[in-house]
Amino acid sequence: MTTDAAPGRLPAVLIASDGRHPVYAPPGLDAGVLVRDTDLAALVHRAASDCPPLAVDLDSVAGLGSDDAAVDFVTGRLGIRAVLTRRPQLAARVAARGHLGLVHVFGYDSTGMVRSLESHPRKMGIGSVLSPALVIVHLRSDELADLPRPIVAYGLIDDVGDARACMALADAIVVRPAIAAKLAAELEASLVPG
Amino acid sequence: MSYTPPDAEAFIARVAADPCCAAITAEENLGAAIVSRAPVVFILRGNGLAVAHDVRRIHDAGKLVAVHVDLVGGLRADRSSVAWLAKSGVDAVISSHGQLMSAIRHEGMTAILRLLLVRRSQLDTAVAAIGRSAPDIVEILPGVILPSVIGLLPPFDVPVLAGGFVRTQADVGAALSAGALGITTSSQALWGFGDN
Repeated sequence: MTTDAAPGRLPAVLIASDGRHPVYAPPGLDAGVLVRDTDLAALVHRAASDCPPLAVDLDSVAGLGSDDAAVDFVTGRLGIRAVLTRRPQLAARVAARGHLGLVHVFGYDSTGMVRSLESHPRKMGIGSVLSPALVIVHLRSDELADLPRPIVAYGLIDDVGDARACMALADAIVVRPAIAAKLAAELEASLVPG
Repeated sequence: MSYTPPDAEAFIARVAADPCCAAITAEENLGAAIVSRAPVVFILRGNGLAVAHDVRRIHDAGKLVAVHVDLVGGLRADRSSVAWLAKSGVDAVISSHGQLMSAIRHEGMTAILRLLLVRRSQLDTAVAAIGRSAPDIVEILPGVILPSVIGLLPPFDVPVLAGGFVRTQADVGAALSAGALGITTSSQALWGFGDN
């Protein structure tokens, strides 16, 4: 199945979860759930719950293959809109199915990041997952511009200040539920008059 | 005439005295590294089978040499390649493979374990690998975020090099203030910066 339609937008915050417990986006926060570091049964269970994941890190799900059948399953049967993967060809298949494919790009050093980007498909519907997230604030403007969007900043965001800094440059960030709650509380406080 | 590399303690002291080391990611950068004030040249690319000539040039300039056995061409990261690098006169070997650390030390070279920071959930595993493999030095990438994440790392008692996206004097200062022994950088303007 292919489509030319652009996939839906990502929320600003993806809340990381192992899928074994329900995780809800805090009220007022533009957020969805990313399931990662889990197993196939937990992923399927969570997808059928009242807090289904918006995104999944395909390569980190035990029992789930990293192949076309797995992509078809998570985007079709489970209805997950965004798929993170190390494999560019699988991200391309996600995009071809009208969903958002996100290719892991590892920002350990500048040379390595360039090499990591060489295999990126650079097509509509395929963005980038930059790890670790904090490196995004240290990229030159040309390096940032070279990352196919949407950009998800993922990994080692451990406080609200770092989260805010990454949000200013990325299209979405991945945080733990505790950080998401703090972001929501901060947002709510900023809306209180006076 | 065979070459005897400095022991790990001497290697560490050399970096401590001149903390900004040159990381070479292209052959054409070697000349600049040789004439720089950087105390150690880290070879991260190139032909590992033909590294002896470059090692001699670097030694002739009074510098030490570290080679990343996982990244240079022509070599497989195993004990035999470590022995090859020792015969080539290399002073230190870098690898992400913890099981090579003992082989590197056995050959009389300084063993540097490269640690890639990705996610919080992997930090404990990474630091456990330090305990198992007992390197002389740990190189943390991306080093530029070391000041932000040092508090997340479980404690370990091994000197740290910070490498990756370290581009400014401010980056160097922040990494050293966070406790790094030294930094590795491909930014030539920083080679030798901050030497004592």
